Amino acid sequence: MKPSPRIARRLSVVLAAGLTVGLAACSAPAAGDDQQYDSWEEVVAAAQGQTVKLWMYGGDEQGNAYVNDVLVPAAAELGVTLEQVPIADTPDALNRILSEVQAGETSGEVDLVWVNGNNFGTGKEAGAWECGWTDLLPNMALTDPADPLLENDFGTPVDGCEAPWHKAQFTLVYNSDTVTDVPTSYDELLAWAEANPGRFTYPAPPDFTGSVFVREMLYAVNGGPDVVPLGYSEDAFAEFTPALFDELQRIEPFLWREGSTYPQNSNELNELYANGEVDFTMTYGPATLTQLVADGTYPAGTKVLTLEDGTVGNASFLGLASTSGNKAGAMVVANLALSPEQQAAKAEPDVWGQFTVLDVDLLDADQRALFDALPESPVVPSYDVLSENANPELSSAWVTPIDEAWRELVLTP
Amino acid sequence: MLETPGPGGALPTRPRASASGRLRALLFVAPAVLIAGFVVIGGIGVALVQSVGLMPLVGEAEFSLDAYTANADDLLTGLGLSLAIATASTVLSCVIGLTAAVIITQGRISGRVVAALSALTIPVPHLIGAAAIGLLVADSGLIPRALGLTPAQWPDLVGGPWWVAVVLEYTWKESAFVALVVAGVLATRVAQYDETAALLGASRARRLRHVVIPLARPAVIVSAVIIFVYTFGSYEVAWLLGRPYPEPLPVLAFRLFTSISLTSRPEAAAVAVVTTAVALIVVAIGMAALKRTPLWR
Amino acid sequence: MAMMIPYGQRVTPDDRTTATRGLMRPRPSGRALRVTLAGLLAVWFALPLVPLLLWSVANRWSFPAVLPTEWGLDGLATALAQGGLPVFGRSFLLGLAVAAIATPLGALAARALTMGRVPAARLVSAILLAPLALPAFVAVMGLTIVLLRAQVPAPAAVLLLLVAAALPYTVYTMRVAYAAHDLAYEDEARTLGASPAHVLWRVHLPLVAPGLARAAFLAFLVGWSDYVVTVLVGGGTLVTLPLLVGSYAAGVGNDAVVAVLSLTAIVPPLLLLLALGRFGRRYPTARFAGPTASRSPKGSP
Repeated sequence: MKPSPRIARRLSVVLAAGLTVGLAACSAPAAGDDQQYDSWEEVVAAAQGQTVKLWMYGGDEQGNAYVNDVLVPAAAELGVTLEQVPIADTPDALNRILSEVQAGETSGEVDLVWVNGNNFGTGKEAGAWECGWTDLLPNMALTDPADPLLENDFGTPVDGCEAPWHKAQFTLVYNSDTVTDVPTSYDELLAWAEANPGRFTYPAPPDFTGSVFVREMLYAVNGGPDVVPLGYSEDAFAEFTPALFDELQRIEPFLWREGSTYPQNSNELNELYANGEVDFTMTYGPATLTQLVADGTYPAGTKVLTLEDGTVGNASFLGLASTSGNKAGAMVVANLALSPEQQAAKAEPDVWGQFTVLDVDLLDADQRALFDALPESPVVPSYDVLSENANPELSSAWVTPIDEAWRELVLTP
Repeated sequence: MLETPGPGGALPTRPRASASGRLRALLFVAPAVLIAGFVVIGGIGVALVQSVGLMPLVGEAEFSLDAYTANADDLLTGLGLSLAIATASTVLSCVIGLTAAVIITQGRISGRVVAALSALTIPVPHLIGAAAIGLLVADSGLIPRALGLTPAQWPDLVGGPWWVAVVLEYTWKESAFVALVVAGVLATRVAQYDETAALLGASRARRLRHVVIPLARPAVIVSAVIIFVYTFGSYEVAWLLGRPYPEPLPVLAFRLFTSISLTSRPEAAAVAVVTTAVALIVVAIGMAALKRTPLWR
Repeated sequence: MAMMIPYGQRVTPDDRTTATRGLMRPRPSGRALRVTLAGLLAVWFALPLVPLLLWSVANRWSFPAVLPTEWGLDGLATALAQGGLPVFGRSFLLGLAVAAIATPLGALAARALTMGRVPAARLVSAILLAPLALPAFVAVMGLTIVLLRAQVPAPAAVLLLLVAAALPYTVYTMRVAYAAHDLAYEDEARTLGASPAHVLWRVHLPLVAPGLARAAFLAFLVGWSDYVVTVLVGGGTLVTLPLLVGSYAAGVGNDAVVAVLSLTAIVPPLLLLLALGRFGRRYPTARFAGPTASRSPKGSP
């Protein structure tokens, strides 16, 4: 998922400072350029007057609005100037950091990036991220330390290199006005596609969403996540992917435009769905569905497909660039983004509708009330329902080999 | 883009060389030459160095041509596709642009309308031109809507096998360019020649063939070279209106450059080197053609 | 971005000229053909802008409706709310900065080249025109790392690359202007006792002003419409209009915002173009300064 941004509202310094005390003891020092912070107070003090650039996918109006209208003013109250850098795709940001790493830059253009998955894993391998700093954040205490989604990001240990921001669930979406025999499993979905030629397709990997769909299919054709090992190995690849590509080749003639081509990215698939050219779309950000139906972009009959197989879930994060010259300010923003006030505001369907990463059981009554007050969406079920049967993501080492094999075996005629 | 006067320039020179004059002239050209030279030579040079593995993102620098062979198939397919798109766009732009130029110079009211409308497209950035063409001819675009055609009845212009929307966008913008450049030439010179030829009894068709077209030829050649090189090396339009396979060279280069796999940067640089080499060859061919044009010198 | 417009130069003959030439008067059949062709060309040039105009005032336009199903200015409101104005300002400044640097540098080089005292003039001309033949993405991929290592701030790096891209236009436009520029005026002024500064300010610059204006406009367009350089070299420091369009175009349901932003990106250069046309007409020299007028001076009748 493209990590999305947005944080709302004011988090008082008092609250932050209060929470800090308990955490400071176990915090690992964060390496700034040469700057090391031993306590949250030092970070807050150093952050004053810093300008933090948050690079994030900019094609989501609600996401942009949340960051600019809610998170930015709240950061300003903490003495940090936050600027959003809207980008067309998350690798643009990673690419920039890698160029800066290559050039030995220590005061780069990127401070925070909304990131997860392969972008995170590859970046970590190349030293793009500052690590070991999230323990300093007071609000990390409100997350479940044993939450698997927050411990590993697509199989890559998070290691304090990125602070959680929201959770997401891969979601298939269909138009209930045109799809009457609703599939309940991936097998049925493919059977439906076969019976309704031209009405289903998926974005071409390496598009993020298309890539997830292909990995979902890898689970589906092999009997689920219990069978396919999450860690990558060439043997596992040779054992499990032939069935996947056979199936994808078999289904190809029944796809949109007879499978002679695929949407280049999830946006193109969404456009096809919005125009009624296909009956299914898919997203890692179901939060935006409510708004898209409300403003008439998507058909009124839009519903979320519930699959027995379950779908993969993940969390997305705010990564701190190792080349950033404003690390203290970036940490203050990351902590602010994790606050119950911001997380609740962000979860509001009218605002952005992103699922929280906080463990609601760890919140006090007032904080919990913020989440209890959230309205239900007419389109999107709650996170608990969506994430039922949630499957773990394969490790990011799987991603590139699968994407490349897909291009070679399925896309290329 | 402008027409290029060609190396050496076709402008009159006044040989008044003195030592101080030369120094002054050198100082005058130095800033511009340094900037252009740095970008061109630096850009090509670094791309070349990266492409042979001497500037890796991670690991040891080591000379190798792997980057050129790793995607050999994609590189060849992309080369063919890019050449085809650039050729189609260039030919269509020149034909439509030349027609428009003749109308502009001959017509009165109709000429002015065409002149004004073609000028309108000049300041449109290509990215926005691509968005506009998409909104017009995609499956859900204005034209199929107006004709009441369903996506199944409407041909796959956007993202289709023939890259029609991409060529349309280039042709739309670049035919306006040709029209303006050629109309500029014809306006200054065609009137006298044309009238003389008419007085001597040349028919309309013959005047077009023997007067107008030869007069326009140098400008058309220069425009064609510029259009070809631009459409061959441009990214946004082909990416926005194209399909995932096959990929034109700039799209391939971009996918590799922004790919998160760490080995793909040299491969992107290799594609960049190939693209530049082809562009330079085309410029050389264009210049040679220009020198053969009787009216050029 | 291709163009070379003879601003301020009329390319259509006026009615009186054509009417007085009996032999040149159109015949009815030719006229019909010409009007038909002109009509087709008018549609060809104008049609792609129609959906942009419609979308910019459509709150909702579901497929397959022929016209927007709900009219309104939501797109404009969103564009404004998302910082459209500062982004617009930034694009404008970038265009101006490119023009402000590339125009004088181009003019200096062009003057020296036209006077014929530059050593290795062919090589110099070739270098100055070479950015035209270099695909933008090649320059970007090669130089991003070099500029970063040299600690060049991102906005300066963007400016440098865009100035290089604009130089072929300004150099060429100014060579054309200087080719038509008669040095005798300057010599005469000097003989009459004017100081060099006075000559520059009162004689030289006014004479080449239309050329300068054209060159500056072209350079402005380079900065105004760039996408690739700004996004990759700028590294997000400069969020310009094309970047905002690009990032909105990457999301579903944003057609109205994209249309509004796109139109915003077309209007300022159009206004400049119109202003240029008027400006050029005030100076009679403009008529001879068309790009092609001097293209092959020896071929002139």
